[in-house]
Amino acid sequence: MKKIILLLLIAVTGISYANIKVVATTTVIYDLVKEIGKDKVMVDFIARGDQDPHFIDVLPSYMIKLRNADILFRIGMGLEMWSDQLIDGSRNSNLKVIDLSSNIQKKEVPNFKPDASYGDVHPFGNPHYWMDPENARIMAKEIYKALSSESNRDESYFKKNLDNYLSELEKKIIEWKSKMAPVQGKPIIFFHASWIYFAERYGIITSGFVEPKPGISPSPSHNAELVQLIKSKGIKIIVMENYYSDSAPNQLARLAGIKVVKVPTAVYGVRGINSYIEMMDYIINQIVQNIL
Amino acid sequence: MNKLIFTVLIIILSAANFYSQSSINPDISLIGRFNTFTNFIKGTSEYGKLNFADPEMELFVDGYLNPFAKAAANLAYEENVLGVEELYGHIVRGLPFDMQIKAGKFLVGFGKLNTVHPHAWAFMHRPLFHQVFFGEGGFNDVGINFSFLLPTGDLFTTLDLGVFKGNSVSALTDPNAVDRGINPLIAGRLGSFISLDDYTNLEVGLSSSFGIFSKGNINSSGNIFADPEQKSFNYFYGGIDFKFKYSPDAYTILTIQGEGLLNNRDALGLAGTGFNSYREIVQKITNSGAFLYADYKFEKQFSLGIKYDYTAGIAGDTPNFYSLANDDKNSTQGIEAWFSYYPAEETTVLRLGVQHLSFNYADGTNRDGETTIKLQFMFSLGPHKAHPF
Ligand SMILES: [Zn+2]
Repeated sequence: MKKIILLLLIAVTGISYANIKVVATTTVIYDLVKEIGKDKVMVDFIARGDQDPHFIDVLPSYMIKLRNADILFRIGMGLEMWSDQLIDGSRNSNLKVIDLSSNIQKKEVPNFKPDASYGDVHPFGNPHYWMDPENARIMAKEIYKALSSESNRDESYFKKNLDNYLSELEKKIIEWKSKMAPVQGKPIIFFHASWIYFAERYGIITSGFVEPKPGISPSPSHNAELVQLIKSKGIKIIVMENYYSDSAPNQLARLAGIKVVKVPTAVYGVRGINSYIEMMDYIINQIVQNIL
Repeated sequence: MNKLIFTVLIIILSAANFYSQSSINPDISLIGRFNTFTNFIKGTSEYGKLNFADPEMELFVDGYLNPFAKAAANLAYEENVLGVEELYGHIVRGLPFDMQIKAGKFLVGFGKLNTVHPHAWAFMHRPLFHQVFFGEGGFNDVGINFSFLLPTGDLFTTLDLGVFKGNSVSALTDPNAVDRGINPLIAGRLGSFISLDDYTNLEVGLSSSFGIFSKGNINSSGNIFADPEQKSFNYFYGGIDFKFKYSPDAYTILTIQGEGLLNNRDALGLAGTGFNSYREIVQKITNSGAFLYADYKFEKQFSLGIKYDYTAGIAGDTPNFYSLANDDKNSTQGIEAWFSYYPAEETTVLRLGVQHLSFNYADGTNRDGETTIKLQFMFSLGPHKAHPF
């Protein structure tokens, strides 16, 4: 009875309240959910922006976050190998798990049976697709679809938010494209293979990686190869995710005179980066400033 | 028996191979462990020599049965014997009160470390009190466990209650001399996990186990003999555990973990006086064991650690905890230190360690301390999941 009165009160006074409880594995998803769900959605995230999303400890405190959630959004493609244990630990039988990669054009999907000699973190292809802003558009639409089917009566509300966000993103996509135009055809060394989608979008030549193979720590012999590569190709910058140790890149900087550009690849990855758009702005500005 | 297990193994492997034709196949993981060691124990043939222990293997097969339940098997090959270490089904969701049920043979949730497979430990030697009170393989039993998540807000608190067949507690005495009859034992743990900040986590737990560890009778010469119809020897274990982990970045982890066990149980003592004296269960005996270690992982690939151990009883002996033997007053202490190298995550580990044991006999027996130096190579093939915190 009390509940009914409360519901009536809310209906009468028009106070909006969160209808859907959402957990996002990463802060990029978190940001997109906030944009589309706004105040009809209560959202939390698991991996902090300054953490390597491949390796997150299976902590019971994350299970608590999932315990009462309606939806868990994840990047998929094996990025969050740790998430299944959290889902089991949450004991939540009503949780819907939405894999945002289902409509993404996936890159580096092995056409052979992959084994760990190829590195052990990208067994189902490269999962770092959010680094291409065109893919953020697809992710936003998936989120809209999932939220709408969870709460039908809010569908038009989510649609309005989606449209607003997509038009804002569209403007930025055009701006980023023109900013990156002079970088086209230039060679860059990246730390981890997080940059395939980004590099292809902007026509960057990926000359190499500081990691010998995805998920494998830098080694002195691989660094020596990179020194040769940097000198022969005249490569100017290493772009690295800021959650990795910069000791190997810094060594390359000393030996080959290359510049190290450390950037976040998630929201809240550094102080002041509070949205996906701010993150992409920051990355693109850093690359443009340092390579030209 | 070994033949049977081999057959089971072949069936599992061929079933897995069959299922891999479809997209639904269980995960299969293989852990291999090779030890070389030398020790400085006078009178042993190993003294000062480079010894090669037989390789050890663990084969894990696990997967979802359906959206609500999982199943797992763990076959271990140790000291040239193949055995079923674990075999259980686990309902993880969909039950009333968000209960989880685990049934079969598995590592009992007494304390924190016991449920963690030894290949995931930071160190090489099983804590001494585990050896004395649980046996070489840890507290591993056949039974059913009910796990509840308590409504404690942001604190993750679980209550585990299990009923077990009880074969595991025969470690308290010579397993051949024990006939417990059909007397299930109880084991449970109340555990709480707290995130202190983004980088620091703490788990604390209280455990308990009790039941009958043996049934016996006393013959005319005053010796105990196993007899399921006769007197019950009860035991009670109380346990306290904590695990603290501080990880300021992806390259550095400091782990400090410790556990203590209090053992209280029945034993034979002398009743009556003079010529009328006779042996009877009149004694309640209390003793204890504990360990504490710290492991510091740095630059992602290296770790250094040290562990201190104490236990009642002599590690390595089969104690006789029926009677008021000196086993209760004897004790063993250990210090273990190690250096580990992890070239690529947990897939390969190279570990060099030293353990020194010292023995204390109540009757004044003098025994030299024992030092063992061990080099371990371990690999983990396949998707065997990391243990939660
Ligand atoms: Zn990756």
